[in-house]
Amino acid sequence: MRTRQRLGAVLLTLGMVAVLAACGRGDDDNGDDNGDGTAASQAPEVDTGSASGEIDVWAMGAEGEALGAFAESFMDEFPDVTVNVTPVPWDAAHDRIVNAMAGGEVPDVSMVGTTWMGEFATLGGLDPTPANIDGAQFFEGAWGTTVVDGTSYAVPWYVETRLLYYRTDIGEGAEAPATWDDLKALAASMQEAGAEYGISLQPGGTGAWQTYMPFFWQAGGEIMGEDGSFTLDGEPCVEALTYYDSFFEEGLTPAAAEDVPVEGRFANGEIASFISGPWMMSIVEDAGTDPEAYTVAHQPTEEAGTSFVGGSNLAVLADSDNKDAAWAFIEYLSRPDVQAAWYEEVSALPAVQAAWDEGVLSSDERLSEFGSQLEDAKAPPSIASWEQVAAEIDSVIEQVTVGDMAPEEGCTVMQEAATGIGTGQ
Amino acid sequence: MGGGSSPSTAGRSRWRETLTAWSFALPFLLLFLVFMAGPILIAMVTSFTDLRVTDIRNPFAIEFIGLDNYLAVLGDPRFQKAAANTAVFVFVGVPLTMALGLAAAVGLNQGIVKFRTFFRVGFYLPVVTSIVAIAVVWRLLLGTEVGLINSTLSIFGIDGPGWISDERYALWSMIAMAAWRGLGFLMVIFLAGLQTIPRDLYEAAEVDGASAWQRFKGITIPLLRPTLLFGAVMTGIGYVQFFEEAYVMTEGGPLNSTLSMVLYAYRQFGFGNYGYTAATAFVLFVAVATLTIVQFRLFRDETR
Repeated sequence: MRTRQRLGAVLLTLGMVAVLAACGRGDDDNGDDNGDGTAASQAPEVDTGSASGEIDVWAMGAEGEALGAFAESFMDEFPDVTVNVTPVPWDAAHDRIVNAMAGGEVPDVSMVGTTWMGEFATLGGLDPTPANIDGAQFFEGAWGTTVVDGTSYAVPWYVETRLLYYRTDIGEGAEAPATWDDLKALAASMQEAGAEYGISLQPGGTGAWQTYMPFFWQAGGEIMGEDGSFTLDGEPCVEALTYYDSFFEEGLTPAAAEDVPVEGRFANGEIASFISGPWMMSIVEDAGTDPEAYTVAHQPTEEAGTSFVGGSNLAVLADSDNKDAAWAFIEYLSRPDVQAAWYEEVSALPAVQAAWDEGVLSSDERLSEFGSQLEDAKAPPSIASWEQVAAEIDSVIEQVTVGDMAPEEGCTVMQEAATGIGTGQ
Repeated sequence: MGGGSSPSTAGRSRWRETLTAWSFALPFLLLFLVFMAGPILIAMVTSFTDLRVTDIRNPFAIEFIGLDNYLAVLGDPRFQKAAANTAVFVFVGVPLTMALGLAAAVGLNQGIVKFRTFFRVGFYLPVVTSIVAIAVVWRLLLGTEVGLINSTLSIFGIDGPGWISDERYALWSMIAMAAWRGLGFLMVIFLAGLQTIPRDLYEAAEVDGASAWQRFKGITIPLLRPTLLFGAVMTGIGYVQFFEEAYVMTEGGPLNSTLSMVLYAYRQFGFGNYGYTAATAFVLFVAVATLTIVQFRLFRDETR
């Protein structure tokens, strides 16, 4: 018995050593060039004209429900292709895609959240965008989300950006604020005119970085430098975080997260303004806001007037066995007229600039504000560790606005945390 | 065994018995190896590597980094905060839940005769209700602006605090909720324990002139000791894994005041840091094991 146990231990050790020897990263140093959207490299053209066969498409949320009808009209044009659309719930989507990539049993096309791009591309799960697709037709910020390490791996499908929503009937003739001082003055004047709070800014919590980051960009900041290292601290950060915190210090925004949704308080005039995306238009109107009593405005301008751009991309998976048809489908969904029709269907803003030239997108005053803000909107860098970096930023924002951390310290903490996490590449 | 059997047949039947035994144990053993021991061993190995989500297509291209993950976990101030929160949750929550459970059990065992079933069902109902449903309802109850508690307080002119949105109260609100939810389970266990205590002991004590408190301290507690140990261990293991309440109600906020060790690990897993998460899980395992050992010491039967 004794010897047998010992033999087992020896075998186990040998096995471990064998595994150990097989491990280890190669010395492939693929440079830290996180291209800023300019001249991203693309794969050679694929033959989309003679596409045939079957493709599986995954899409999340309302998009997954509505995409079937668009797949039908695609199949009318490409009768040799069969498109199977599978709606995937948002909550499960990330893990399902990762598992599919790990197992190699993937859909041909998948909708990919913009902040997942770095992770999926680094993982090796996405097919580089072929040269058939012209990156210049999309909003620059949106195209930038598809670029990982200098190569594009997807196509922007729809976009969203953040604007200032404000009540026009509180106080006298509120005007769109041009600068940071104007925005502060607007919030203060509306609060004086009877609103409980002049503005509602997110005091930390998941996604607070999306409200904070535009101010950082407006102060001249960049998330990453040319050399691929984080530049979250410094003067722009201190300015932006101090400005953001000042709304909390001066009582212009609720001091902690509220459990009443903002749309209700906006509708009854208790909260005079807030910053959010295009989906809030229908939500505030459903909550009872008079469409005549509010409007949207560009982000204020300091050194820049940049906003945040988010949305979703469409990617072909590396293990797809019908890439021609997959890219043909994506190309179809990127046509300006299809993009405009898609807006009519699910109210998702087109990523293709040409789609904004006609119809309701060009005639509606508020919508065209979104359209012009999209020309000056940035996305965070497509790095594999972005979600984790973003969580650190959210946490610092909370400690500065709700807690008693000084903005200067907050900037240092953000930078150190991000540097510690790295790009995950 | 028959007198005529030679040593070799005896050996063979012995061998057959062993074989039969193993064949009975085999289904469990296989399942255990494949679904328990295997993954645990893999997790253990993973915890010494820098495996990330971006490596999953090529999982052997990873580096062994020794104890780096463990040192990083233990050195992370946020993990320390999570560990401190979990410790408060366990060291306040377990005694509180046990005291409430015992009070309910003793009450139902002796005092309350009418509506006994009603109370039993009432106390036990939260145990069988989904914890997520409970957390959602409690969030409505504890809301700052529209919560039931603060609305009630405002009738009396009291401006209630943010029970879960203020970092000073959030963890305590969750302990209260967990105690309310957990007491039903302990009540049932303790009730069963109380029923095994012979009546004549109490009667004899009463004849000797022992007060109710003396009888409780001198008879109930010592004889209930094994049951108390069981309750403490089960509740302790559950509370160290404190997760759903914070996940549903506060996402670990405000200011990480309700961040628990499991929530911390869960987030790291979400970020794709698999090696780091595995190390966190083993730290948690050590915490649970230590707590259980301490409890066994504490409730050790002194008469033995």
